[in-house]
Amino acid sequence: MAWKDLCHVPGLPTSCGTKTREYFVDVRECEAVRRLRQAGAVGLGKLNMTELALGPFGDNPHHGDAQNPWRTGCAAGGSSSGGGVAVAAGLVLGAVGSDTGGSIRLPAACCGIVGLKPTYGRVSRAGAMPLSWSLDHLGPMARTVADAALMLGAMAGHDPADATSSRRPVPDYAGALARGVAGLRLGLPENYYFDGVSPEVAAAVREAASVIARLGAVVTEIRLPDPQPLTDVASLITWCESSAVHARIVRERPHELGSVVRARLEPGFHVSAYDYLQAARIRARLTREFVREVFAEVDGLLTPVIPEPAPALDQVTAGAPGEVVLRMARFARLTRPLNGLGLPALSVPCGFTASGLPQALQIVGRPFDEATVLRVGHAYEQAAGFWARRPPAAPSPDVRAR
Amino acid sequence: MTDGEGALRAVLAGAAAGIERAAADLALAEEPSRLVAALEAEPERG
Repeated sequence: MAWKDLCHVPGLPTSCGTKTREYFVDVRECEAVRRLRQAGAVGLGKLNMTELALGPFGDNPHHGDAQNPWRTGCAAGGSSSGGGVAVAAGLVLGAVGSDTGGSIRLPAACCGIVGLKPTYGRVSRAGAMPLSWSLDHLGPMARTVADAALMLGAMAGHDPADATSSRRPVPDYAGALARGVAGLRLGLPENYYFDGVSPEVAAAVREAASVIARLGAVVTEIRLPDPQPLTDVASLITWCESSAVHARIVRERPHELGSVVRARLEPGFHVSAYDYLQAARIRARLTREFVREVFAEVDGLLTPVIPEPAPALDQVTAGAPGEVVLRMARFARLTRPLNGLGLPALSVPCGFTASGLPQALQIVGRPFDEATVLRVGHAYEQAAGFWARRPPAAPSPDVRAR
Repeated sequence: MTDGEGALRAVLAGAAAGIERAAADLALAEEPSRLVAALEAEPERG
């Protein structure tokens, strides 16, 4: 396995995608990595990532852009870009990623692999670089749902070193996979999640829902509480906390940062304490309301992960930093609300576009109900069979670092 | 301030306005630290 380069592992540098070789150090090993190693995982090293985990496309001005193994020149997704690429290309069986607004699920979707953002509090973040401590999650990236379930079983559980870590017991995720989906109630959102989504993506997700229904689940349309306030909350909290965490490099060595990352970090210095605290207060209430209303009707949600298939990297990263940041926000608009809510969300491959790029289904569950999310993902994956397809083995000759 | 910063400040102002609307009837007792408690309030499932 391999680790996103924001996990502190003794003996290895942790650049966090920056120009600085040892940008992040900690007194202890990343707890999620330590638990996987204790469970027998063999670590092969660190994985490329978007600078400071700030960006959904997988570009990096210092270490080279991660290339999508299905199509050179297309975004690999980010910020856990190296995890998406390495797992899809078969270089590793699994990877540890982090997800503050979609950074596990977006590269999983772009690269055609499985990625899970667990419930907030399920996996310790101790020993990993914080981007936004209120929204950061660590989770597994793998070729199959079964592999992700095995990894989560090893990574999850209480850790006193992370103040948000839950004491809930860790169930046997892998052992529950074979229970199937018969009788489960699953909802396809009527609002927000299909707004502005490409027809090809929407069709793939609806077809995946049909497959899951044929396996015995009851799939219905559902109107969700508007996720937009959650997106506002998650964005504002991320701006504030990431600026606070990375203030030193922004203030003392701004020239070392890429222009878009600098642009992303700057607004956080101008948010009032009032706005930040109101965002943090409203978040818990929005979460309680969402959980109460949605999960009274269904056991899970089925949505797209990305609004369009992996875009051309040179197109989405072109233009003024402000334009790029707005493009980033649009690309992560289907994943970011789940960080605000803290709910478990899984990205599973659900086919390919006419041009051969991966498509992805997002499965969302109740708090701490990763077991159901993984069950649905596993049943679908085994029925659909897309997991067995592999990208072209050899990279194109024009793959090169900047 | 560059054009890019202006666009981002505008987005930030929009987010703050959205939060202001959503927080209009927030209970006095609501604290910022209750997310994990809100998530753990959901009963465990076997």
